[in-house]
Amino acid sequence: MIASILPSISPGSLLAGGVTATAASLWLLLPRGRSAAADRTARWLGWLVGVVALASFVATGHRLGSVGEEAVFLIVALVAVISGAATVVSRSPVYAAIWFAMALAGVAGVLLVLGGQFLGVATIVVYAGAILVMFLFVLMLAQPAGLAPYDRVSNEPLLAAVAGAVLLGILSLSIGRLTAEPPACCLMGGTKAALLNGSGSAAEPATAAAAGIDMLADNHVARLGGELFGRHLLAVEVAGVLLLVALIGSIAIISRGVADAEPAVARRVAP
Amino acid sequence: MSLFADVVAPAPLVLNGLVVGAILFALGLVGILARRNLIVMFLCAELMLQGISVSLVSWSRHHGDWGGHVLVIFVLTVAACEAAVALVFVLQAFARTGRLDAAAWQALRESNLSRTIDRELPAIDTVPPKFPKLTPAGIEPAADEDALLEREHV
Repeated sequence: MIASILPSISPGSLLAGGVTATAASLWLLLPRGRSAAADRTARWLGWLVGVVALASFVATGHRLGSVGEEAVFLIVALVAVISGAATVVSRSPVYAAIWFAMALAGVAGVLLVLGGQFLGVATIVVYAGAILVMFLFVLMLAQPAGLAPYDRVSNEPLLAAVAGAVLLGILSLSIGRLTAEPPACCLMGGTKAALLNGSGSAAEPATAAAAGIDMLADNHVARLGGELFGRHLLAVEVAGVLLLVALIGSIAIISRGVADAEPAVARRVAP
Repeated sequence: MSLFADVVAPAPLVLNGLVVGAILFALGLVGILARRNLIVMFLCAELMLQGISVSLVSWSRHHGDWGGHVLVIFVLTVAACEAAVALVFVLQAFARTGRLDAAAWQALRESNLSRTIDRELPAIDTVPPKFPKLTPAGIEPAADEDALLEREHV
């Protein structure tokens, strides 16, 4: 759709535009201690520019062959990316945590589409179910009433936004170099028709067949478990020890620190 | 003959997955650099880990083996450990300063960096959020004096 609107733009300029729009959008969206009205305007502008950035990244994406697959991937990827951006720019840390849960849902969807059924579910269970709840516990314990001043300002928002966008541009460039085919937006007529007819996904069965493993076959979890507890058994044991050490360490730190911090409790009320 | 002559170009789905991973990683990086709330910084680090997970699973699909999946499982494990230990540190930092502010620890900065000074912020309209309430019924119990002293907002 977007591909047919923008037939003649080169992928490089589209990427450059997307990266610039990303930087501008994040710079507008990050909290900078403005008054309420200016903040609202900047946020609106920021989300608008962000939509432009997203559109250019969608346009540089590659066609997947079937419309259904494309639609599903697009939806889950947009949920992940938009919620991720909202996590970064939310003023209130509680909202940031909730948006992060939404981003996790999107990431789980992306993992499912990419063939990681177990990991998609594990992300929801472990991250959203356990780690995020721990974050919310700490927020409930430590968040002062209302919006704290340090939540309304950022460290060097311009430099941070530019740094992130430059990193994104470099990564997208090197990802684009992995394939000789130009993205779907910028193809000449004949090649585009050939790609839309399904040759775009031709490389995938070849790759999987070359390695002799079909990731999407039956018994996904059983085979993943076989790999994990077969080839990586020692690493699993080490991970178990790491969990135990983290548990003991955090208990030791918090029990010692409570005694140390007693005199400071009186200061706690002042923001 | 090129070293990579027999390398198959990644499938379109793999490329798109890599781009999504890169975007999530870059967003998390911006958050780490810019935000000052310790917990939001931590959430942004987790967002970067999510971007890495998406990239790893994409490469796993490309190569057709389980290495990426197994590595993501270990990323989950280490993220859980890291969250436990780091949140304890955040709680300690809060107990000492009363703030979740990274700038509260700016005494630890490099000697050639200037001090972060907070300017006076313009007031924001503090409209309290409206939550649904049940219709009161029965007799109102006597107010607990101790409960009134506690913070009503956390």
